[in-house]
Amino acid sequence: MSSMPDAIVKQDAKYLADNARRRKRFSLWFYFLCVAIALISVVILIFLMASIWSQGHSRLSSDLLTRSHSELEIERSGMWPSILGSLFVCGTCAVVALPLGVGTAVFLEEFQPTNKLLRWIHGFVQLNISNLAGVPSIVYGLLGLTVFVYMFNVFGQIRVNESAGMEIMGYKHFYQVLTLEPGHVVFVPQSDPTKRQTTFDEPFQAVDPDGNSIEISIWTPGTPKPSDPAIRRQTVRAGAIGGTITERSWYYFRLPFDKSFLSAGLTLALVILPIIIISSQESLRGVPSSLREASMGLGATTWQTVRDVCLPAALPGIMTGAILAMGRAIGEAAPILVVMGAAVAKSTGPKHLMDDAVTMPVLIFNWAGRQQDEFKELSAAAIIVLLVVLLLLNSTAIYIRHHVQKAQS
Amino acid sequence: MFLQITSRPMPLDRKRAIGCLALVSSLLVGMVGCGSKSESTSTETAGESNTAVAASNLTGTIKINGSSTVQPIANAVKEEFAKLYPDVTVSVDGKGTGNGFKMFQDKETDISDASRPIKPGEFEACKENGVEFIEIPVAYDGLTIVIHPKNDWVDTLTVDQLKKMFVGGDAAKKWSDVDPSWPDETIEIFAPGTGSGTYDYFREVVIGKSEDALRSDMSLSEDDNVLVDGVAGNPYAIGFFGVAYYEESKDKLKAAKIVNPKDEQAYLPTPENIASGAYAPFSRPLFIYVSTASLPRAEVATFVSYFLENAPNLCERVGYVRLPEEIMQRAMNNLDAENVGTHYIDAEGNSRSGAVADIYQPENLTK
Repeated sequence: MSSMPDAIVKQDAKYLADNARRRKRFSLWFYFLCVAIALISVVILIFLMASIWSQGHSRLSSDLLTRSHSELEIERSGMWPSILGSLFVCGTCAVVALPLGVGTAVFLEEFQPTNKLLRWIHGFVQLNISNLAGVPSIVYGLLGLTVFVYMFNVFGQIRVNESAGMEIMGYKHFYQVLTLEPGHVVFVPQSDPTKRQTTFDEPFQAVDPDGNSIEISIWTPGTPKPSDPAIRRQTVRAGAIGGTITERSWYYFRLPFDKSFLSAGLTLALVILPIIIISSQESLRGVPSSLREASMGLGATTWQTVRDVCLPAALPGIMTGAILAMGRAIGEAAPILVVMGAAVAKSTGPKHLMDDAVTMPVLIFNWAGRQQDEFKELSAAAIIVLLVVLLLLNSTAIYIRHHVQKAQS
Repeated sequence: MFLQITSRPMPLDRKRAIGCLALVSSLLVGMVGCGSKSESTSTETAGESNTAVAASNLTGTIKINGSSTVQPIANAVKEEFAKLYPDVTVSVDGKGTGNGFKMFQDKETDISDASRPIKPGEFEACKENGVEFIEIPVAYDGLTIVIHPKNDWVDTLTVDQLKKMFVGGDAAKKWSDVDPSWPDETIEIFAPGTGSGTYDYFREVVIGKSEDALRSDMSLSEDDNVLVDGVAGNPYAIGFFGVAYYEESKDKLKAAKIVNPKDEQAYLPTPENIASGAYAPFSRPLFIYVSTASLPRAEVATFVSYFLENAPNLCERVGYVRLPEEIMQRAMNNLDAENVGTHYIDAEGNSRSGAVADIYQPENLTK
């Protein structure tokens, strides 16, 4: 008893009871304070949601989900191309960033450096990742512009009428010539890709969409002009100029990437890479070392340990990080504006690997800045759609994570 | 036995992990597949309708960049054009007039949108890079000087009064500094950002060609909604922006009448006054600059002549003012004859300024 503090031994019961009550009351106040602080953020969120909902719910219609941006029928504007575009950009981003991020984390956590050089590399990579996590995304946008859009101009510059960059696969060049029938053109396969234009003075062979060749005749001004539309479609004026058009398959590939969804996806991958690496590292660190040691003790190699023990155990944590990172990626507007530009009137999703795309944040940014009230309401509605898409993606990921966890236990 | 314990759940997990990856990648591939499928169906339907409704089989890609003010007009034209020529891809970006010309010089675009005529420096750069172009005015935009509806002392404004308010370090701080009969209150100014063609245009009208800047203590914003709300929130505020924005916020703001320096009459920025040229000097023409190297391409030629034919109607539908028939006719002549060059720079390399009807004349064309 003598080791008890004086304050407890000597005080009378009443004082003790009062003191306890006072401290408990204070603790209760502290509890309320914490609840209030937590509520503030929730209230702000609810307030935001409510104001967006009240502005935008009247514009939630099938038009919004199925049509594209329209300048002339504002009330029927939609965001379907931007939903597709965002999925494409974020899909690219995930496919690139996840393996790279997890790989880097495994390197940093599971392969401890054994000599001075390796230790130096480790430290260098770690330092860079910590720094990169704090870099504003617009800086990544500028990086993406140089690295992916222009590729330092090493593969040549893309110029209209001159050069389409270094085309690798999935393309066919044709000369497009107007016929006598207004709006109808015929296509002539190109034999010399450096010759971007050609003049037709002699009858020539063109191809129809199925690849059959058709005979095209020449009409010289001054001679009688054919009047039958079928013949007019197979006749061009003497001296007609054929300009180059390119038919692109979905796997069309070209360097540099120019303003394509691929450039945007790769740039976003850079933005979220540090987040994925750091969260993967954290969850790998959380794997009990006893598991690792047991695996090693059984004679497994480092690779087998990582593959069969560490990664499966860390997977839920890695996926949580990935979900957060993807949430950031789908909402980024700044780097995409720099890389792909501010075009919003595209009416389809990307059609080939080098096609550009509209993304939801860029469309919302454009709509919110318009003066027409319809566009302001549409932007609120588009925010709701963006949140729903994000929620759907996240719940899919959470569902998968849940399954993985269940399989482990 | 122990081997089984450690390894049993693992292949399952690996399978799942691989499954996840496969799911993600198949999703991506599937989407690409979808995209290309929809492309093929669209060309098929185009082919079918080709025989039925005679829709065009014209194809190709047209790249447009430049003024964000002109972007809605180009978008509107593109929208109507796509109904007739569904296979032509037109991409309309709006990075600003200056950036647009930069890309135009570098041969990155076929058409450059501009909310002001080309500048001598940009014209030189085009010449150096061998970029020739046809200058085509497409619509009028009026600059509206807006005040709060409760502002009852300002009815008309002269360019000199605006100069007092907007120019230099010794600009009028209070309304009474401009006119002693006006209230002794601080002037609050809301203006578009320095990178916009609107700011450039206002500066040129009020200051002229000198390098002076507008006063620096204005609230600048690229977002016109901010300007509208700013002026609407303060009875002693003044601001300016494009006429299309004023049309949308007429109930919150009042437009000031501007005294035309030529006939000393004050005019409101109504479409009639802008089209007749009476609302001077604050109405400006908007342009597209078409690269002649792109014109032989059937899709570009078709698009540009469609643009010219339909710009008067379509620009009105997106809030701008149509150009007189006469000017559109001159533009069409320039396009047909491929008259390259600008009307806004003389042979000595100085820029011309004035009403579009006076300057956009064949004899002013400089190659």
